[in-house]
Amino acid sequence: MKAVMIVLDQAHYEMIVNDLSSLNIRGFTSWKEVYGKGSNDGFPHYGSHAWPSVNNAILTVVADEKVEGLLSYLRELDNESANLGLRAFVWNIEAEM
Amino acid sequence: MKIYETAVKNPVGTALIFIGVVLIGIMFYIQLPIDLLPDIEVNMVSVITTYPGAGAEDVETNVTRPLEDALNTTENLNEITSESRDGVSVIMLEFEYGINMDEVMNDVRDKVDMVVGFLPDGAEDPMLLKFSTEMIPVVILSATAEESAGALYKILDEQVANPLNRISGVGTVSVSGAPQREIQVNVIPSKLEAYNIPLEQIAQVIANENVNIPAGDFDIGTQTYMLRLEGEFQESRYLNDIVVGNYQGRSVYLRDVATVKDTLESRVQESYTNGQRSASIMVQKQSGANTVAIADAVNAQLPELQKNLPPDIKIETVMDTSDYIKRSINSLLETILLALVIVGIVVLFFLGRWRATIIVLVTIPISLIGSFIYLFITGNTINIISLSALSIAIGLVVDDAIVVLENITTHIERGSRPKQAAVYGTEEVSLSVMAATLTIIAVFLPMTMISGLAGVLFEQLGWMVTIIISLSLVIALTLTPMMSAHMLRSSKDAKVSGFDRWYNKNILTLLNKLDAGYSRVIHRVARRRRATVFIILFIFIVSLVVSVITLKTEFMPATDNNTIAMTVEMPTGTRMELARETGNRITQQLKEKYPEIEVVSFTVGVADAENTFAAMQDNASNLMSYTLRMTEAENRKKDIYEISEEIRLMLAQMPELYRFEVTPGGGAMSMVGGSFVDVDVFGYDFAATDEAAATLQSELGKVRGLRDITISRKDYRLEYQIQFDREKLALNGLNMSTAAGAVRNRVNGLVMSRYREEGEEYDIRVRFDEPYRQSLEDIENILIYNPMGKGVRVRDLGEVVEASSLPQIDRKDRERVVTITGSVYGRALSEVAQDVSDVMATTDLPPGVQLELGGTVEDQQDTFADLSLLLVIVSLLVYIVLASQFESLTYPFMIILTVPFAFTGSLLLLALTGQPLGIMGYVGMIMLVGMVVKNAIVLIDYINLNRERGMSIITAVTHGGRSRLRPILMTTLTTILGMVPLAIGTGQGSEMWQTLGISIIGGMTFSAVISLILIPALYSMMAGYGVRRKRRKHREVLVENGNQ
Repeated sequence: MKAVMIVLDQAHYEMIVNDLSSLNIRGFTSWKEVYGKGSNDGFPHYGSHAWPSVNNAILTVVADEKVEGLLSYLRELDNESANLGLRAFVWNIEAEM
Repeated sequence: MKIYETAVKNPVGTALIFIGVVLIGIMFYIQLPIDLLPDIEVNMVSVITTYPGAGAEDVETNVTRPLEDALNTTENLNEITSESRDGVSVIMLEFEYGINMDEVMNDVRDKVDMVVGFLPDGAEDPMLLKFSTEMIPVVILSATAEESAGALYKILDEQVANPLNRISGVGTVSVSGAPQREIQVNVIPSKLEAYNIPLEQIAQVIANENVNIPAGDFDIGTQTYMLRLEGEFQESRYLNDIVVGNYQGRSVYLRDVATVKDTLESRVQESYTNGQRSASIMVQKQSGANTVAIADAVNAQLPELQKNLPPDIKIETVMDTSDYIKRSINSLLETILLALVIVGIVVLFFLGRWRATIIVLVTIPISLIGSFIYLFITGNTINIISLSALSIAIGLVVDDAIVVLENITTHIERGSRPKQAAVYGTEEVSLSVMAATLTIIAVFLPMTMISGLAGVLFEQLGWMVTIIISLSLVIALTLTPMMSAHMLRSSKDAKVSGFDRWYNKNILTLLNKLDAGYSRVIHRVARRRRATVFIILFIFIVSLVVSVITLKTEFMPATDNNTIAMTVEMPTGTRMELARETGNRITQQLKEKYPEIEVVSFTVGVADAENTFAAMQDNASNLMSYTLRMTEAENRKKDIYEISEEIRLMLAQMPELYRFEVTPGGGAMSMVGGSFVDVDVFGYDFAATDEAAATLQSELGKVRGLRDITISRKDYRLEYQIQFDREKLALNGLNMSTAAGAVRNRVNGLVMSRYREEGEEYDIRVRFDEPYRQSLEDIENILIYNPMGKGVRVRDLGEVVEASSLPQIDRKDRERVVTITGSVYGRALSEVAQDVSDVMATTDLPPGVQLELGGTVEDQQDTFADLSLLLVIVSLLVYIVLASQFESLTYPFMIILTVPFAFTGSLLLLALTGQPLGIMGYVGMIMLVGMVVKNAIVLIDYINLNRERGMSIITAVTHGGRSRLRPILMTTLTTILGMVPLAIGTGQGSEMWQTLGISIIGGMTFSAVISLILIPALYSMMAGYGVRRKRRKHREVLVENGNQ
């Protein structure tokens, strides 16, 4: 099992949540209004006067074989509108109950 | 969930709500009454007291003065003027505008009640009269007749006035100028004397004979009958056969001592239309009724009524107020439509996309139509004020939608889907859109609260614009994102149409070049900021000096309402027949010389006391009042002011006229007639004030641009007075009033009974036959009977002497006054007023005489003072809104600095177009305070944003300027070009709004150009100081740390 943390511009949120189920992913946890900026490029998402954009975050724990499908879906989405900002990070799950 | 999110998620609900608003608005629009102006409560009350038999001076001392002293303490009283005439005192109280007149009436009634006890015994109780706009007739018709002239009154009353009276909303319909039937009993004095019968006895006998008396019920058998006595004359000739007295045992019949004439009354006001004897029919409306609907109903019924009239009676419309209203309203509607088209073109030009343009333009009809709901609910009318509010608002309502749409587009271009872009794009700008709307509201809402005439005029404008702008804000935050979410395409789905290709090739490159050019300019400006600020300061000073030098002011622009009023006076005491003949000659000349004049009508003679409207105006046997109706303004070359000027020249060549006055627009009550200058000459002594007034009149005649200089004091009137000797009266058992009454009965006539026919009553007037009351001897020979039945001649009781008296004494603010009035033509009011002040300063005055300048100048000063206060309040409010939005005191200060440029810009454009600054122009300048700051807000806000994003000052300024240029240009151009139809308006009544449009265009343009340069320069200067101050502090901290 792997955890995939998706940090995304809030404009992506609805679409990604809708598409998760078509990728056979049922469970996820999301945070609304999270702030931050990318390491290399892209606009900061601070929700402030200067940088009004805001991020959401989605954490989903999926079977190992589903990770690649999810990432490629997200990559495609990010390429479509590079300016909005969409990143995903994957790490291992040690245990679950 | 936020409102824009809800709107985007519920497109059906949102769309239907706004469709509902539009439908209700349209429904209310159809039901709204149409009028020229909002319902203005007239701020005048008059107190009329009759004191029969007293001369003007007696009336002044005994009635007018005590009343004035009491009334002077009434609250909110602005001015108190009075006219003391023979037997009547008329006090006019003028109150502040916009106060509750019902309370005022109660107040006035209380004050009058306090002094009633101190008035002389002979004075009747004072009557209170509140003026109202309903007194102005809606329609004046005139009927000309040939064979039917004698019966004109009866025909018109029955067949025209009565049917018209049944139209709903019609208050009264009165017929004037047609003589009424009268039964005259013309007595021959010598025969009366021979039979020893006093005239009063004849009148008494006629009254006693002409009666119907019910004698009671009585029973015959099983029935009850009524017993009646029918003594009323069946026909007027039966009067001849009544016995009026006995002489030596024989009956004296009326025919023995008098002739009975069934004829028309003499000495009435006569009217002539286009040279033909006519009667006028005045239609007045009920308060709150729809003027246009009434006039339409009257006009619709006329052909029907005409059919039933004898063929020689022709009915013509002399005045139709609805005509002017309809034309003004239509020309404003055209202006609004034109503005709509212009704004649409501007938006399309900058956005380059049909869908975006439609989203923005939808705001206009919804917010405008929505405001009709307010009008309907508050019981207002569609009038030139409420419609002009629409015209002013058109350019402003799109601003919010443009800002929102622009941000949504940015989001879409960045890759958002339209739905998300709509929600988040709106969210980001919602605060600044609200702040921009608040600055506009900060200008228009205080407008509803100012006092004075301006308050009355602009209250509705303030509410309308506030409501329209608030509605446009709601639309920008709901409908605009909703429509954007569903109509805009995300960048990847966008199709390129032929129009897009053409736009990208031609216009987009042009706009890009403009952006690039502007950013180069700003870059240079930001580098040489100090020089720029100095240059702009210099430009400001020059423009200020130029505009102050060229500044001309006026009160209200003169408008052309196709009407000229004219009073022509012959020397006092001229017989009506002579005046009538001269009047007809003038009519003929006018008709020949001016094909522009459609209808010439005039009245001459003393008005019937029963006709209130006519009695309120000046009337006398030597006075002719004209109303001239021209063809429509667009169909003639000369305006009413030029024609009036020519008529003045024409009348000046007629030596038989004593004086004349030509009033284009039809007088002060119509609010369209240009400006007047009044000089009040105060002083108790008649001779001294007369002399001063005469000198002033001749001096003022030399002032350029002043016409029709008239003196208010009436001429001394030549009269005969009977001076009875009280001792002789007493010896003969008579007193002053019985003797005076007897003379009056013989000359003026005695009406003690009325002849009845077909439900109408006609006076039976008994008096001396005309040949026996035409000379001094006739008067001296009048035989007055004392209680013992013995006759004494007037010449034995006193003497008849020739005298002259002042028919009327005018007072203002409790002092005697002579007012010299002139109307302004072809020159600005301020210039003429300056010259008049100079004349007043150089005129030598007799001791005890003071001068005061009044008239339109006074109104102008009052209103300008009110508006200046408004300007200060508005500027402070706008500053407060800005300071709280920016959370800073310096940025708002920079923004407010663009306002003075707007003012000089307005004044310069006004001077350039040759228009003086009136209250409309001034109000335009006040509106500018809220409008021009918008550009600076957008600019500074974006530069700040860039700085927060870490750009250096100069980059932030250059980049900010470049990216905000288009939105600024777009909102500014929609405002400016939306005003253009108002400013160049050619339709009826457009003169009124012209200066407002010009002032806004001038101010907007000048300040937009200046602020696009000044704001970057000022910003970089101030931010530069800020940075240096921070560096210095940092250095100090470093040095301190190093020292430690």
